[in-house]
Amino acid sequence: MSAKRGIKTIIGSFFQKRGQLGAKATAASFLVSVVFVIILFAAVVSWMIWWFPYHLFSDEVYNVVVVNAPESFIKYNEQTQVYRDREAKEYGNPNDFFRNYKNILSFEYNFDGYGRTKYIYKENDALYDFVSFGKWMRENDAYLTIVFPNDFDDQLLKRQNGLTDEKPQILTYYRTNSLEYSDMKNEYIDVHLSGYQSFIRAGFGLAITSFSDSEIVEKPIPTVGSANGIRAVVESLCRSFLPILIFIILLYSSMSIGTNVIAGQKERGTFTGILLTPVPRYGIVIGYLCGVVFKTIIPAFFIATIASLAVGQFSFTGFLALFTYIFVLEIFIASITILISVINDTVISAQTAFLPIFLTLVAVCVTCIQSINEREDFYMYLPVHGQFFGIGDVFVGKTDYLGLLISSLITLLLSALIIFVIERLLHSERYTVSIDSVDAKEVKSRLEGGKPTAWESINKGYDNFNFIFNESFYPLVVLSVFQTLAMLPVVVSYMRKAEYSAFIQDLVNVSTLKDIFDKTFEVFGIFFKDPLFLALMTVGYILIIITYFIHSGRVWKIKGMKNKITACGYPLSDKKHIILHYILGFIFGFLMMTCTVSIMFFTGQLTFSGFSLKLSGIGVFLFNLLMWFPQGASEELMFRGYMLKSFEKRFKPAVGIVASSIIFSALHSLNKGYTPLASVNLVLIAVLFALIYYLTGDIWMTSAMHTAWNLSQGNIFGLLVSGNSSANSVVTAIYSDNSSSLITGGSFGPEGGLATTAVTVVCMVIVTVLLVRKMRKKNL
Amino acid sequence: MIQLIDVHKSYTKEHETIKGVSFEVHEGQIFGLLGPNGAGKTTLMQMIATLMKPTSGQILIDGLSADKALLEIHRKIGFLTNEIKLDPLSTPNALYDFFANLYDIPKDELKDRRDESFARFGISPFAEKRINELSTGMKQKISIAISLIHNPPVIIFDEPTNGLDILTSKQVTDYLKELRDKGHAIILSTHIFSVAEELCDDIAVLIDGSIVAQGSVDMLIEQAQVNTFEEAFFKIYVENHKE
Repeated sequence: MSAKRGIKTIIGSFFQKRGQLGAKATAASFLVSVVFVIILFAAVVSWMIWWFPYHLFSDEVYNVVVVNAPESFIKYNEQTQVYRDREAKEYGNPNDFFRNYKNILSFEYNFDGYGRTKYIYKENDALYDFVSFGKWMRENDAYLTIVFPNDFDDQLLKRQNGLTDEKPQILTYYRTNSLEYSDMKNEYIDVHLSGYQSFIRAGFGLAITSFSDSEIVEKPIPTVGSANGIRAVVESLCRSFLPILIFIILLYSSMSIGTNVIAGQKERGTFTGILLTPVPRYGIVIGYLCGVVFKTIIPAFFIATIASLAVGQFSFTGFLALFTYIFVLEIFIASITILISVINDTVISAQTAFLPIFLTLVAVCVTCIQSINEREDFYMYLPVHGQFFGIGDVFVGKTDYLGLLISSLITLLLSALIIFVIERLLHSERYTVSIDSVDAKEVKSRLEGGKPTAWESINKGYDNFNFIFNESFYPLVVLSVFQTLAMLPVVVSYMRKAEYSAFIQDLVNVSTLKDIFDKTFEVFGIFFKDPLFLALMTVGYILIIITYFIHSGRVWKIKGMKNKITACGYPLSDKKHIILHYILGFIFGFLMMTCTVSIMFFTGQLTFSGFSLKLSGIGVFLFNLLMWFPQGASEELMFRGYMLKSFEKRFKPAVGIVASSIIFSALHSLNKGYTPLASVNLVLIAVLFALIYYLTGDIWMTSAMHTAWNLSQGNIFGLLVSGNSSANSVVTAIYSDNSSSLITGGSFGPEGGLATTAVTVVCMVIVTVLLVRKMRKKNL
Repeated sequence: MIQLIDVHKSYTKEHETIKGVSFEVHEGQIFGLLGPNGAGKTTLMQMIATLMKPTSGQILIDGLSADKALLEIHRKIGFLTNEIKLDPLSTPNALYDFFANLYDIPKDELKDRRDESFARFGISPFAEKRINELSTGMKQKISIAISLIHNPPVIIFDEPTNGLDILTSKQVTDYLKELRDKGHAIILSTHIFSVAEELCDDIAVLIDGSIVAQGSVDMLIEQAQVNTFEEAFFKIYVENHKE
């Protein structure tokens, strides 16, 4: 009786609004989760690269195989080639956004690859030899085979002379592994073969006849060994992506909830109280287990339901099987997390201990994905493997009930074993009584004397480390989140472009860290010429600014948006002051850049190409200009308005200046062409901006300077901005043959060169003098 | 009600923390366990509360041993110690209900009991506040209310007045007296002489894991041939403590 009510009560505590488990996550557990997310992200990306069926999405496949081509067809083709060439020329330039944007956004498959279709001529007496036709199509990246009878032209002649009423047949064979191919086939027939029919009518004088003079027969060629078209893609997603998604949801939520239960209660000292109640140990274990299972299973069920509806899996038994798989799997995972929770005394140690198990289970999932096509039946009966394959099978609609039964039984048996072990452990005082909790230690150390003990110093050091780590990590997280969001639509649209599918395929070869960065900046290089990307980035930077206002308000406990903005270094009260500072900042930034470029120009490092702004690129140019404004402001807000102030509040202003500047520089280290000199320069520039911030008391001026610096660098002088090239500039700087990258900064842009160092140092001296003067005045 | 027979406990092979302790606590009696830090008070209390097992010897609660009737004993004891904390993010009401359910208190009685118990300690105005917003004294009072939720005949309080101000302290000692008069068997550990002197009917002085003296306050003073209880304790300590 008591056990039942005890179990119910413990489960209930999981769902209480201010319940037992509302413990705040510590900074360390946050770090652990961040690391998890990064690892998972990297893992998912790496899987994407090899399992993603690029061959189905690549519109490289736009060639056509022509078998037994009659002379008339070859002639017709030669004539139409002119139009195709023109088309290819028109659509060929991917940078020509305004003419091409429709294709970039919609990504329709084009039946002739925007004029780049090649005709592959073959001979074959057998008109129905679809095996050869399929082979030729695969070999030649073709989606269509047109087969003429050997004597097509003769047959036409016969018809022309009234010798026969029989229409000669044109057979078309097309690939079916993507629905796009049948669309392309239809379009090809509508345009090219109809055109060819008109051509032969004219050529053979049959134009007056009211009916077609050849019959087009369409024959699909199924891809051997797999389901057709879209279905194949969906199936591969069902068997790999969806199961792993569900696994990760279960693992992650079990980890965050499951490791917290007993270890968290031990850490907080509340566990002993529960152990002293007349609820049997098994009741406590089952209560916690059910609590974790019920709480974590809700999101998993939700996602599973949506996913199965999305892939068209509506059967009741299918749902039942899916839920059974998930439920059993969750019991298994939850029992492991609780076991770990019992063994550990703090949440952090429990989560750290769960990490290897988490990764092992994810690794099992990866091996499952790798062996999807050649799995043995035996795997269906194993725990974890069984659930992974089973969930995939259910999504595809082929539930293996025997596998479900056996794998569930074995998994439950294993879970029962683990639960038994947990119950035994709860009888041992090693895992139940914490004699020296952390708090007790602290109290002890304080009683022993006023001096900080080693423990306290370590704690303080750890606190500071955490603070610095979080502060430097936050901008990276915010930046990458919003940049990724801005990139996604552009990436998706580029993925389908012929020019870039090769690039994406090339990503498979990426192996080293350097490759990854190089490729990333290659992508950036392409994107920076795309107005869509620039516009999205502009929005992204504005969102970053808003995020920072909200974040800093929360950290500093400031209410009211206006106060938050002011606290971040953007005082709003004095409009004249704002305008004056902004315009002055803009002029200063421009002058600084001009000085830098002048130094390089007069020392013979570079020359200018003259006016190079192209009218066609004016849109990109304007978008790019627009982007620099929130870009500069967001970086100033991140590093001066917020970070510098945070550091200053905790440490001293000097520490703030140095730390924020180093972090500012370090975050640019991922950019292309980053050199030690560039790092020093960026620190110097950051220090300069920080000094100006102290001089003016706000970041209006530095924001404008930052914007003007980048804008003039990239879009006026046509130089690289921290390793990124701009789309269009007023003049283009060309480095001389004998230029020294020590002065010019090489592939990082002027910010990596001595010219910038010189200008920045001079400015720093001026600002420091002004600052000292101002402080003296204040003191007088 | 509480019976200890030659209880030993050692955490490591070399060192014995409790070296053969025996005593008995009866109904309607407050038994005080007095000793310096590290004497083994908490270990002893935790063993009585079944959280730890003695290495050898026997502990009987109402004639029951923890090996055989663990849950029975849990229904009979109320345990309070600084080591047991309250969930900082919960509220007194929620915590009381949670433990009432775990102790299987009849549902129709639950609310009345809670109101009565909270009213007695003045918790009622804070019943919906978060624990971490409350003062140390209030937390201790809530802990006491929760540890006695099932009205246990045996009460084990480890340093119940530790860190409390004089007023709260007095509330607690008054309550303990009241419980004694109702016939509960109470064992409490303390290192505060005044509390021991005022409350305890029987005091055992625990030094380095053994009971070196036992009796009422007057008896102990008489035995040591001094004037105050405090002096008696110091004399006993000096005589028995080995460096």
